[in-house]
Parts: sequence; structure tokens; C-alpha cells
Amino acid sequence: MYLDLLQLGGALAAVAAVTATYSAVLHVSNATTVALSFLLIVLVVSAVSRLWIAVVTSVAAMLCFNFFFLPPVGTFTIADPQNWIALFAFLAVALVASNLSLLARTRADEAMARRDEVARLFDLSRDVLLMTDGQEALSLLARLIARRFDLPYVAICLPRESSGWEVATAGQLSLELDRAQLEMTFAAASRTLEFDAQRRSYVGHRTLDIGGQAVALVPLRLGSKTVGLLASAGRTVDPGTLDALGGVAAIAIERLEFLQERKAAELARQSEELKSALLASLGHDLRTPLTAIRVAATNLQGSWPDERARSEQTDIILAEVERLARLFQNILEMARIDAGAVSTERQWTQPSQIIEAARAQVEHTIGARPVEIAAPPPDVLVRLDPQVTAAAVAHLLENAAQYSPVGTPIDVTATIGDEGLRITVRDHGPGIAASDLPRLFDRFFRGVAAKGRVSGTGMGLAIARGLLAAENGQVWAENCADGGARFTIVVPGEQKKMEESA
Amino acid sequence: MTSPARILLVDDEPSIQRAVIPLLKSRGYEVDSAGTGADALRIVFSHPPDLIVLDLGLPDIEGTEVCRRVREQSTVPIIVLSARGSEADKVAALDLGADDYVTKPFGPEELLARIRVWLRRLLSDERVETGRITIGDLTIDYDRRRLVRGNDEIRLTPKEFELLAFLSRNPDRVLTHRAILKEVWGPNAVDQPEHLWVLVAQLRKKIEPDPSRPRYLISEPWVGYRLATEHDGS
Repeated sequence: MYLDLLQLGGALAAVAAVTATYSAVLHVSNATTVALSFLLIVLVVSAVSRLWIAVVTSVAAMLCFNFFFLPPVGTFTIADPQNWIALFAFLAVALVASNLSLLARTRADEAMARRDEVARLFDLSRDVLLMTDGQEALSLLARLIARRFDLPYVAICLPRESSGWEVATAGQLSLELDRAQLEMTFAAASRTLEFDAQRRSYVGHRTLDIGGQAVALVPLRLGSKTVGLLASAGRTVDPGTLDALGGVAAIAIERLEFLQERKAAELARQSEELKSALLASLGHDLRTPLTAIRVAATNLQGSWPDERARSEQTDIILAEVERLARLFQNILEMARIDAGAVSTERQWTQPSQIIEAARAQVEHTIGARPVEIAAPPPDVLVRLDPQVTAAAVAHLLENAAQYSPVGTPIDVTATIGDEGLRITVRDHGPGIAASDLPRLFDRFFRGVAAKGRVSGTGMGLAIARGLLAAENGQVWAENCADGGARFTIVVPGEQKKMEESA
Repeated sequence: MTSPARILLVDDEPSIQRAVIPLLKSRGYEVDSAGTGADALRIVFSHPPDLIVLDLGLPDIEGTEVCRRVREQSTVPIIVLSARGSEADKVAALDLGADDYVTKPFGPEELLARIRVWLRRLLSDERVETGRITIGDLTIDYDRRRLVRGNDEIRLTPKEFELLAFLSRNPDRVLTHRAILKEVWGPNAVDQPEHLWVLVAQLRKKIEPDPSRPRYLISEPWVGYRLATEHDGS
């Protein structure tokens, strides 16, 4: 309003200035010059200001024209009838011109607004394409719409078969949408066409009044299918834009659902792969010992073996039973890790006890191989779960024994520091292929070179990691500069020195 | 063969070797063993065995590849050891020249029976190839395309005869569905096993004493068929 008055004042001042300059200073008396000058002012005013200001300016200019320049000068009477025509022609031209100019300006403004909205839509589409799926994806979409369109309230409402309406909102305003209204609008939108060409209007749009706020509801459409509703309030957006916005939002939702489906399919595929990997490795690892046991046991039944052959066959059976037992243990441990059922109980322990226990568990695999142990003195204690830790170390020892040449030593060191207990297991084998390192601890992963050459299930290292995770511990692998692989575990835990008297 | 038969056992599992080698020796066979495909091929070509028992899961070369390379130079019988459930491996090995298979975990008698069959066939193969063959109470006359049981001729359709002839030229050998289809119907029919099922059913009705418990035309599930020369009674 203040701006309007200022513009009116300016316009009238311009009219006054032209009048004063022409009549008092320049003594211009040519009616055409004056009329054109006034017309110029009116055009400028109508181009930058409102219609009523332009009209008032036109009338003021006409009065000045009549009073100061049309004879008899100094009165509002007009002597020459021709001048009446000039006066009204001036007024008419001024009014038409201001109307036209205003119209052009309105068009330009509309085009600007349209361009602005298209730019917003474009930005939104880009945002939407960059969106990733997740728990909050729908809310994120609502937030993106609210931000891009400066809307204080946006709600995306999707009908869900199981749980009524899923509504994701964004913006400062909080409004409660009536579910029955949503249902009605959705049903109506589902039945109607996208655009009613005859009435030149978007059908299916609806405006609700919620707590004095006009809430615009637009259907989210994918082709002719309505998938939900978009509610917005607080700022009026052109219906065409809203409709386009609904389309973009619908595509975004479709894309999110597609991403989720793909993720689910990917997960299913992975678990399927895990299953077949488990079956394949179990198949081999069960069959071989079973065959050996069966043949050896039948051999024992026969009358042919002598004492030495009998003991050899018995050894085979015992060794293969041991192998089966270890396999069984692995499967159980894996199941416990999967079920999150690894329970830990911390107690004061000597590090050397853990290593000895681990070694005893895989005695069979290690065989006669030398194991060099460097552990802290026996009076240094660390507080952790000795059984879980030992089981993890056992898997590392087994791994080292399996993947390094028979007869080469395995070095085990234990140190206690602020980080807790650190144990390294180092072999003198060929080391780990660089390409295998990233997946080394993955379940059922077998090194490319080891596949086939060394029998194994690919469970050991995965179990070690799973067990340690239950103790907040870590495990990693690296190749030593002078050959061989080194596995390191760190398990957090306090340390203390044993009391002399204890 | 007057000297004991020499068997090459190829398996990378020490426990299997340690159990099977004494078993074979106890039956009077001479046994060589190899833990890798490369070793196996070396032995096959330097010191040819009478029979090879070959595990398909070898650390260096695929067992099927070993089959192929042995077959390039030798007709020595190959018995493949393979896991149940990996029928595709068996079929591949048989198509590449293996003669038979035993499924792990196998019992000793199963393996010994297969070895006996193949060593015996080795002896019978030394006969001069004639125009006819007798299997059990059936006599197949290839020249006149006739099948005779005792004094009675069993009338067969041309396809039935072709099937029986193909199987009988490879007695006791497992022939894969694919190989049979290719032989009897031609290369375009290899993916239509239903032809074979129907024909086998027809042939069984004519030659089997009890078609529901075949004695000649033995089905090897998912793999193929074999024509049994001896009656196991099982």
C-alpha cells in the first residue's frame, strides 16, 4: 500500500513536472507534443505500477492537458470542439495503453512464475533421481518438495493395504489430515481423468480447510494409475504445477519401491548364494570323511589286515571323526553367531592359557608343526572371555596350519597394552593374494589359489571374526614383508599384575 | 592277463588313499596312487595302468579334463568318483570318456564290484569282434539286425534295435542320455530325453523278464542307461 502511494505520488509529480516545464519554462503550446509527453508518462507508469495508478495518472494528465494547454488556457472549458476530440482521444489512448502494458507485464510475470516453477520441478526431479532408498526415504521426499517449492506444509499420503494410510510430512506447519477425506479424494481421483480438456481444469484436485488453512490435495499419478495423494498448504501453487509435482513425486515413489524391491531381491540372492556355498562345502567336507570312515571300517571287518594295517585303519577313522567333529563345531559356532547367541563372560586370564587352549583345540590340524609362542610373563593378567578368545585364536592357528607348507613353523605372540590383549599368528607360507584380502573374513570365502588345493569350508575366519565381535574385539590380516601371512586380533580388556600372595 | 591288474587311484584326500589302497591290495591288485591330475597323467603315460579310479575334485586339473586327456591316447577303463548331487559332473566325465562312476560316500563293495566288471570286460574285449554278441539269454545279431532269446526271435522296431545295439556295443558302460539321443536320433534330438524314456519303456517290455525290475536295461538316475552283462540280483 505504501509502495502504491509512493508510485502514485511519483506519477503525479512527473505529470506536474512536465506541466510546469512545458507551460512556465519552455512555453510549449503544441498540443501534440504535450499529449505525447503525457502519454509517455502514463505508459511508463502502467509498465511499472498498477492499473488504478495508471488510470489516476491518465485522468490527472488529461486534466492538466485541458487546464494548462488547451485554449482557453487556465480553465477547464474547451473552446474548440476539435480539442474535445483530442482530449478524449488522449484519455482513451492512455487507458488502452496502460491496459495493454499491464497485460503484457502480467504475462511476463506469469511466464516468470512458470519458469520458476519449472526450475523448481527440474531441481526436484534431480533431487529425486539422486535419492537412495531407506527407512526415511518418503519423509526425505516430502522434505525435498517442501524445500524446492518453499511450502510450509507438504504431506505424501499413500494408501497401504495393511495399515490404512502412510503419511510422510515435512515443513513447519503441522496439520492433521482427516483419513476419511483422504479416502474420498483418493477414490474420486482414481475414477477421473487426469485433465478435463473441456473444462480446462485438473480433475481430482481438491482443497480442504483444516484449521483455517487451505490444504491442496493432488493425486499422485503414474500414467492413469493413482498411487496416492500429495497435500500442500501455506503457499498457493499453480494447479498445473501441482499436477506435474504430483507426477514427479509419483515417479519418485515408484523408483523408491523399485529400489527396495531390488535390494530385497539382492538380499535374497545373497542368502541363496550363502546357502549353496554352505551346501557345496558341507557336501565335500562331509563326504570325504564319511567315505574314508566307511572304507576303513569295512577294511577292519575283513580278515586280511595285519596288526599294523589295523592300527592304520583305526587311525584313519579317528582322524576323520575328529575332522567331522571340528566341522560340526564350526557349524554350531556359525549358527550361534548368526543367532547372536555368543555369550561372553569376562574373567582374569593369563594370555598363555588362551594360546595353549587354542592350540589344543586344533592339535590335529597342526600335527607336528613347530609353534613358537611368545607370551607375557604368567603374572600378567587380562580380563576377557578366555573361551571365546581361545576359540577365535584356534581358527587362526588352524588357518595358518592349513595354508602354509607342512613343517614350517607358526609364530604366536601375545602382548598386553592399553588396547587390551593383542595376539598375532604368523605363518611362513605363501602369504595372502592381494585380491583375496578384502573378502578374507567373508563367510564361505575361499582364497582363489586355495580353492581345491586345500580342503576347507571358508567358515573358520568368518567364525573368528564373529566370535571376536561378541567381545568387541577385532581381527585383521596382512602379509609380512619377509613372507608369510600375519593375522592379528585385539580384544579390549583391563590388565593387572597378579599379587605375590595369590 | 596273467600278472595282477594294476589300478591307478587318483584322489587328493590322503585319508581316502590310506583307506582304499590297502583295500585294493588286499584283493590282489597292484596299486599306484596320485594326488594330482598332473601326477596321474604322468603315471598313465609312463606306466600304463589296467584301470583308473579317478576323483573328479582334484586340486590342479579338473577331473573331467584328466578323463579327456587320458582318452586321447588310451582306452583304459576309467571309474569316476564323484559326489551325489553333482550329476552334471558325472555326465561331463562320461561324455569325455569315463566308463563308469561310483558316488561318494561309497562302500568298498560298490567300488570293488565296479572294478571287477571293468577288469573282466578288459579280458572279454580281447576276443575278436564278431557280428553277434550274447548278453545273458539274449543274442544280438548286428548283421541281420535280429534279437534272439533262446530259439525265439524278439521283434524290435528299427529304433529299438539301434538303441539296444548302441548299448550292447558298450556293455556295462554308462551311456549318458545325451550320447544315446545323439546316436539314435541324431544331434538335433539331444535336448528331447522324452523320446528316450518312451523307447526304453518299449524295449524293456520286450526284453526284460520283469519290466518293472529291469535286469538288462539299467537306469542310472539323471545320468543315463547301461546294459548290464551280469545279473547282480539286486
